[in-house]
Amino acid sequence: MKASPPGLLTLSGPPRERDRAQRPLDMSLIRRLFIYTRPHRTTRNWLTLLVILRAIQLPFLAWTIGAVINGAITRSEVRGAVLGALGFGLLAATTQITFSFRLRLAQLMGERVMHDLRRELFGHLLSMPMSFHNRTKLGRIISRMTTDVEAVRVGVQDVFFVTCVQGGQMITSAFMMLILDWRLFLVVLALAPVIWTLNRIFRMRLSSAQRDISESYSRVTATLAESVTGIRVTQGFVRQEVNAGLFERLVRDHSQYNVNAARASGTFLPLLELSSQGFTACLLLLGGWLVLSPSHHMPVGTLIQFFFLATVFFNPIQSLGNLYNQAMTAMAGAERLFRLLDTPPEWTDAPAARDIAVQGRVELSHVTFGYDPQRPILHDITLVAEPGQTVALVGHTGSGKSSIINLIAKFYLPGEGEVRIDGVPLSDIRSPSLHHQMALIQQQNFVFTGTVMDNIRVGRPAASDEDVITAARRLDCLDLLECLPEGLQTKVGEHGSGLSLGQRQLVCFVRALLANPRILILDEATSSVDTMTEVRIQKALSTLLQGRTCFVIAHRLSTVRHADQVLVLDRGRIVERGTHVQLLAQRGIYSNLYRQFARLGLGGIRPTP
Amino acid sequence: MTTPSSGLAPGLDNGALIKRLLALTWRHRIGCLKVMSLQILLLAISLSGLGLTGLGIDFIRKVVQPDARAPHWPFGLVPPSHWSPMTVVAAIAGTLMLFALVRAVLNFTYTVELARLLQRDVVATLRTEVYAKLQRLSFRFFDDNASGSIINRVTSDVQATRLFIDGVIIQGLIMILSLAFYLVYMTSLHAGLTLICLSTTPLLILASAAFARMVRPAYAHNRTLVDKMLLVISESLQGIQVIKAFAREPETDARFASAVREVRDQKLWIINRLCIFTPIIGFLTDINIIILLGYGGYLVIQGELPLGAGMVVFAGLLQQFSGQVANISNIANSIQESLTAARRVFEVLDAPIEIASPPNAILLPRSRGIVEFHHVWFGYTPETMVLRDVTFKTQPGQCIAVLGTTGSGKSTLLSMIPRFYDPDRGTVLIDGLDARRYNLDDLRRNVGIVFQENFLFSNTVAANIAFGNPQASPAQIERAARIASAHDFIMGLRDGYNTVLAESGSDLSGGQRQRLAIARAILLDPAILLLDDPTAAIDPQTEHEIMSAMDSAMVGRTTFVVAHRLSTLRRANWILVLDRGRIVQAGTHDQLMVAKGPYQRQAAMQVVDDESLRMLNSPVEVPGTGGTL
Repeated sequence: MKASPPGLLTLSGPPRERDRAQRPLDMSLIRRLFIYTRPHRTTRNWLTLLVILRAIQLPFLAWTIGAVINGAITRSEVRGAVLGALGFGLLAATTQITFSFRLRLAQLMGERVMHDLRRELFGHLLSMPMSFHNRTKLGRIISRMTTDVEAVRVGVQDVFFVTCVQGGQMITSAFMMLILDWRLFLVVLALAPVIWTLNRIFRMRLSSAQRDISESYSRVTATLAESVTGIRVTQGFVRQEVNAGLFERLVRDHSQYNVNAARASGTFLPLLELSSQGFTACLLLLGGWLVLSPSHHMPVGTLIQFFFLATVFFNPIQSLGNLYNQAMTAMAGAERLFRLLDTPPEWTDAPAARDIAVQGRVELSHVTFGYDPQRPILHDITLVAEPGQTVALVGHTGSGKSSIINLIAKFYLPGEGEVRIDGVPLSDIRSPSLHHQMALIQQQNFVFTGTVMDNIRVGRPAASDEDVITAARRLDCLDLLECLPEGLQTKVGEHGSGLSLGQRQLVCFVRALLANPRILILDEATSSVDTMTEVRIQKALSTLLQGRTCFVIAHRLSTVRHADQVLVLDRGRIVERGTHVQLLAQRGIYSNLYRQFARLGLGGIRPTP
Repeated sequence: MTTPSSGLAPGLDNGALIKRLLALTWRHRIGCLKVMSLQILLLAISLSGLGLTGLGIDFIRKVVQPDARAPHWPFGLVPPSHWSPMTVVAAIAGTLMLFALVRAVLNFTYTVELARLLQRDVVATLRTEVYAKLQRLSFRFFDDNASGSIINRVTSDVQATRLFIDGVIIQGLIMILSLAFYLVYMTSLHAGLTLICLSTTPLLILASAAFARMVRPAYAHNRTLVDKMLLVISESLQGIQVIKAFAREPETDARFASAVREVRDQKLWIINRLCIFTPIIGFLTDINIIILLGYGGYLVIQGELPLGAGMVVFAGLLQQFSGQVANISNIANSIQESLTAARRVFEVLDAPIEIASPPNAILLPRSRGIVEFHHVWFGYTPETMVLRDVTFKTQPGQCIAVLGTTGSGKSTLLSMIPRFYDPDRGTVLIDGLDARRYNLDDLRRNVGIVFQENFLFSNTVAANIAFGNPQASPAQIERAARIASAHDFIMGLRDGYNTVLAESGSDLSGGQRQRLAIARAILLDPAILLLDDPTAAIDPQTEHEIMSAMDSAMVGRTTFVVAHRLSTLRRANWILVLDRGRIVQAGTHDQLMVAKGPYQRQAAMQVVDDESLRMLNSPVEVPGTGGTL
């Protein structure tokens, strides 16, 4: 047992294998990405045309410079030189125009594909059932929506089309060099694989250095995030100095990885340059020999033209390496995106499912269910709630109360048996139709950024301000909400900041009432409301329950007392059922629970009359 | 952008900021000097390489065309006349290679030195300073600033501040130097040609500056839009159950669609401008080459300019020159970016620490545990007071229960004791002295706190318990865990005390988290213990597990407990009932039970009705009194 592991405020595991930053090119992924350009095919086809045009234009520009120097200037023709310059100008202008359109279309394409992908992903996420959301971390989704989508965008807009331009540029210029002089061209040809290999080796070293950087950086940000979130604990326990020291070590460690990466790229870039300088030297040597040797008589101008063309030929090599890297990142991103998109919902509404007007009879017959089908949580549950009845579910943690509620709300489907509303099996009811007539209040409900009013309106978006105020008044909590800094217009921050736990819960109550549901589910709904406030809204709550079928899970058994049915659960089975009075008389599990409650809560105080 | 009330220092104006940043650069002057001298050497060598290539061409041309201009040998280094032309070419090529080698070595050194300077010296130091400062800032700062923004100040803002050193100072000086070098070189080749070729440069600079000014706000706006979109995602997924329960998928999808569309459309606006501007700048650079070909060609023909060392070298120089000119807009961007970021960094570094030890602070090794509030008024904003005229006094070892509705000021009252906030009016006294006179760290070490929603670090269980005293021995840790009834469940974890907790302890139950928090609070054996409704956010079924932990934790300390359970309230020596920041009732349980008021009303709620009691009909132990029902 160690008091504090060496030098760390937080410990985090290594990233998982499937979150690799890059993966090799994969035709099936590329083909699938290509499908996303189909809705924008006009753009895509024009773009392809422009790409080909530009791949020819670029080497031609360099060729023109060389040709003017080689031709008119060496032949001392002033008129030719000026005409050549003007010709170059014209060509340059058209090349820039091509560039403008190429750039615009490529970026348009990238942005549109990114937009479509994001929409599709989000729609897919919304359609996934709760089981998916309960096991998926938000951080992963966010990085799908940002980093991965962004990588795919770069892949579509830059990698593919820029590679085509640059590859084409290399081929065209190589062809031109070949025509000019095949012997000099051999030098270029010999050098190209050297540079390519260098490129590969160092890219690999560099990407491993980058991985170290991003790992150490994620340690920095993780620690930072916890330090900010846990600042109250830190200051409360006077840990400022210690934490600052730990953080300094972490930051220094991270900077060392940065220096290491610089060392890798510091070897690579100069070596690349060295080889292109080496090329110039070789060209000078061989070209010099060709020009000087009486048997060849190559014109000097050809040598000069070669210098210009060689630049056009070699320039793309470095950026091609970069593009290759981006392509692999895009592959990894695309693979993760498609894996998410391809995760099918475990179930969807049956095609024959229909909308119903709920009366409120809820029935479970012989239901067996487990989140993991191998390990059932509920065994052979049968219950009936008549319209307007209140059913209380009682039992220890893990006894299956919340699972029953998840089944009634159609968040999950039962393994065996059936859940029926008004006699219709849940599987035949469309989820939206059911959910519009049902409301759920949990111990800790989520509130969204926006005003308190907006949050209440989630229950019924069409509700007017008056409706909201009326609902709050009916719950007898209008004054509690109005005493917020800006009343119902108070802005709620992220994670409900600006509201206390209890205030958040009040918002959820009003939200549920506004929805005017036929079926109401309270899952420990008042647990985080303090008793003083609960006293206030207790009476109002019974208004809320009036005339609706209600399922109540509550630890304060006082709320259970007036239920029409009390179901006592133990390890996934209903072990006792009846009214409060009947169950107390049975002197079984329920009366024991009640005794425990009595011991904790009251200690024998009688209310003063 | 930020008001003083957000706990930040007021933003500096540009002049003051630049002064601060220059001082920062001065602190790292040796590293800067190293990096810059390397750059100058590199520049000189690359220019020589270019010159040599031109020389080679001219030499070959002279040999082939004897009527061409004679090559100009630099520094009078004329090759011996007995060398064959091929030997001379080989010598030039060899020198070129040598230069390239030296350049490669220098380049490597430069890259590594730059990374050392920036990442190790500047960024690491600055991050450490900002973090250390953050740790000391008062709660108000963290209340008023979103955690994302605070984290950004330490991460990206510090990186962007560093940009002032490399992107502005170093790049700027290099740019000026190399432009001067190029200019001198080109002028020495041909002054007229230089002048005409560079006539487009001012236009280039102006156009770049204008464009940057136009798109910069657009890019900033794009980032805001992306953040908005991300917020929709994160909220929709965190609140997915609410969305599904109310079948609000269509509305949510529409909300997201409009957020994504906004991002895309705004980006298309930027792209439209980018696609007009970039080619124009490109063409402005092309104009230089047109002039070079026409006018330069004329000059070569007239014999006023050598072909290799003149024309070809000129073409190379022009390219590099335009590269540096294009850099101007980068530098301009860096100035903007680094100033914005530096302002945010200095806002933190200069932020006043609102709550700190006074000079000549009184040391408080062990408090006696007497807490007194004397007409305390406090509000998070001056308009709304959360505590109004609160007055009370405790004796050592007493247990004070605080009761009140949501928003009545219970937590605020507790957080005044360890000076998380200072009162606006009135005084909080500890052992009879104003709390503000003590050494702050001493005061807080005397106060153990268990919050409503406790934060655990993703570290081992032991490290979390020993958070207040990393030097604590295993025996001490275990003792604290036992008092908090946490030892048994800890031993049941994978690695016992060495089990690493998931982020915010999410792999533990609420009750287990709170018991760890209680163990953490009592490890220091504080004289004063604050329990801010530790059962509020936990699974009600396991509430009783905490009750006993709380009970044993209270022994021998002055304890403040926000509580609603009658069992706890009964045992308190004194109960304060708060309503909208005022103490509306105070007394013992027995006194309050017989007084008409909010206390009696809420107690009645928790009482089991007579009928049920009769039916339970087996005797119920009443803790504390030994009596029976």
